[in-house]
Amino acid sequence: MNFRDHIELSLANLWKRKLRTSLTAFGVTIGIGALVSMVSFGKGMQKNVTESFRSLDLFNSLTVFSEGFMAGERFDPDRQPVEALPSEASLAILDEAALEKIAALRGVDTVFPEIRIPAIVRFEGKDEFRLIQVVPAKVTSSRMLRYSSGKGYASDEEDSLVVTESLLRQLGVSEPQAALGQKIIISSIAFDFSRFNPADLTAALSGERLPFSTEDTELTIAGVAESQAFAGPFPIQSDVFIPPGVSKRMKKLPFSNVWDIFRAREGRLGYSALNVRLSSPAFVEPVRKEITGMGLRVFALADQFKEIQRGFLILNMVLAAVGMIAIVVASLGIVNTMVMSILERYSEIGIMKAVGAGDRDIRRIFFFESSVIGLIGGVFGFAMGWAVSGIINRIVNYFLAKQGVPYIPYFSFPVWLALGAIAFSVGVSLAAGVYPAMRAARVDPVRALRPD
Amino acid sequence: MPPFPILISNISKVYETVKVRVVALQDVSLRFEEGVFAAVTGASGSGKSTLLNLLGGLDTPTSGTIEVRGKKISEMSREELALYRRSQVGMIFQSFNLIPGFSALENVALPLVFSGIAKRERRKRAGEVLAQLGLEARTAHRPSELSGGEQQRVAIARALVNRPRVLLADEPTGNLDSRTSREIVTLLAELNRNQGLTVIMVTHEESLAREFAGRSVRLSDGKVQAEERWR
Repeated sequence: MNFRDHIELSLANLWKRKLRTSLTAFGVTIGIGALVSMVSFGKGMQKNVTESFRSLDLFNSLTVFSEGFMAGERFDPDRQPVEALPSEASLAILDEAALEKIAALRGVDTVFPEIRIPAIVRFEGKDEFRLIQVVPAKVTSSRMLRYSSGKGYASDEEDSLVVTESLLRQLGVSEPQAALGQKIIISSIAFDFSRFNPADLTAALSGERLPFSTEDTELTIAGVAESQAFAGPFPIQSDVFIPPGVSKRMKKLPFSNVWDIFRAREGRLGYSALNVRLSSPAFVEPVRKEITGMGLRVFALADQFKEIQRGFLILNMVLAAVGMIAIVVASLGIVNTMVMSILERYSEIGIMKAVGAGDRDIRRIFFFESSVIGLIGGVFGFAMGWAVSGIINRIVNYFLAKQGVPYIPYFSFPVWLALGAIAFSVGVSLAAGVYPAMRAARVDPVRALRPD
Repeated sequence: MPPFPILISNISKVYETVKVRVVALQDVSLRFEEGVFAAVTGASGSGKSTLLNLLGGLDTPTSGTIEVRGKKISEMSREELALYRRSQVGMIFQSFNLIPGFSALENVALPLVFSGIAKRERRKRAGEVLAQLGLEARTAHRPSELSGGEQQRVAIARALVNRPRVLLADEPTGNLDSRTSREIVTLLAELNRNQGLTVIMVTHEESLAREFAGRSVRLSDGKVQAEERWR
């Protein structure tokens, strides 16, 4: 029996039992549809995360810490045995020299210290407290910051800054774009030794007459960034970004939190961390090695990404397992339909055998029929999964858009998913056809042709 | 080409289930010369249909050997038997056994499907055989649209389409009136005479057997009771 005859014969047989064929195929359609939407949801989420990592340049970013305090790892109670702390002398401090050394490494694009200055942001009479991040001009015009209007400041010395839309809104600006070019006042805290009276130490120690004053710096808004802004691999959002030159001129505290003081060595504070941007993700490993060799610790978000990927793998498997339940039910439907078909076509099978059909021919006839059901179910199932996901995506985005969340495609339909779904459907149907096909092949023609 | 007889040597067929044991044929030995028109007669349950099913390769004997055209069909595998059925023998039945959903032409062409012959060729050959049997006007009809005699002729056409040398007929007139019965048996006799086809016909109509067949075998309780030869 040739291939074409098999196709024609199975289509004719299925067509003869249109209702049952379509109900069975519909069962497969639902199963494949469920599987496809589940998997495409998992893949969609994964894609969103991967893309946001990529668009924020997080794959080629590192954060460098000094060993010891703040390292985190040393205090991990789950980690046994605890590594011996390196001697004080071997500990490198994150100072300008370390920064320059790192900046000179091959593959390093930009290095800038993680500096956040506590300050009051004042605009048109309204105040907000924020940690102001110091970021080089180069970084403000990189992919890490996205602007709804304006752009990053042109140089590290310019008296300008970048603010996020959300901060401007909190400061009472109804149209953040219109604020471009206007002045903002940054009010920072600085030591003021003129207020310090050594004779009255007790007052200072108990928090009275503190030797601090505030300093106002006026800056022009160069760019308005989108609401969530990252300007470094350090996973903390900032709302205000100023150039390093401005930061140097500003009177401010030499540390932004008490941890910095704990970390100080021989009276030197150093930077709390360095943000390193590489020219390509390929440099993550070699640069990490070099920096670790300098006695420093490196944190790469790419490592976190591997963990996230593992999480997604599990999520995808769970989603696929849920989809599989529907497939199993559908395949039982196929078995049922095919077994019914044997009973109905019992004498027909006998006739075919009597005129020369072999067991193999009969087996194949049934395999073809179940795989055609699988093919129909696979194609329509994919279409259904695609359509249903599209509708859910629209509905979800419609409601989220009302809350100001930007559009996100929650489902992803790569080509392999379409082909895989159809192939899987045919495969499952073939598996479901094994028992009926075997049974049909074993029909005894003498019994099947008996005239009763 | 030397003539090939059908040789049946000491065959038995026993149907066994958990509860019952039915001996359908018991130590039967027969010889049918090539080109013979033989009738197998006997009461129902005498084992005549079983004998025909064994000759047709639809079933295998419990013991003994059957040799058709030099091949021991009693030793063939299931796939070999399928090949034998489609190339060496044609079978017709009391209840015609046509596929209801197929047209006369499709029914006749069915054996050619399993021989892997292309559709166009199948239709041509099936059409030719139907025309030979005077059914050219009935090719597109479904079995339900044909008379009993026409249906049996379609079944004969189907049995002949693979050009076998042996035609096995199991009570071919059992569902037909006497006039049509005569027509069908006449047709079988003509095929035997004109094309040299070996015809073995199971029947309970002794008169028809006597009139058309060259010899007859009477079975009783699974054994050969009598053998007669007229011409």
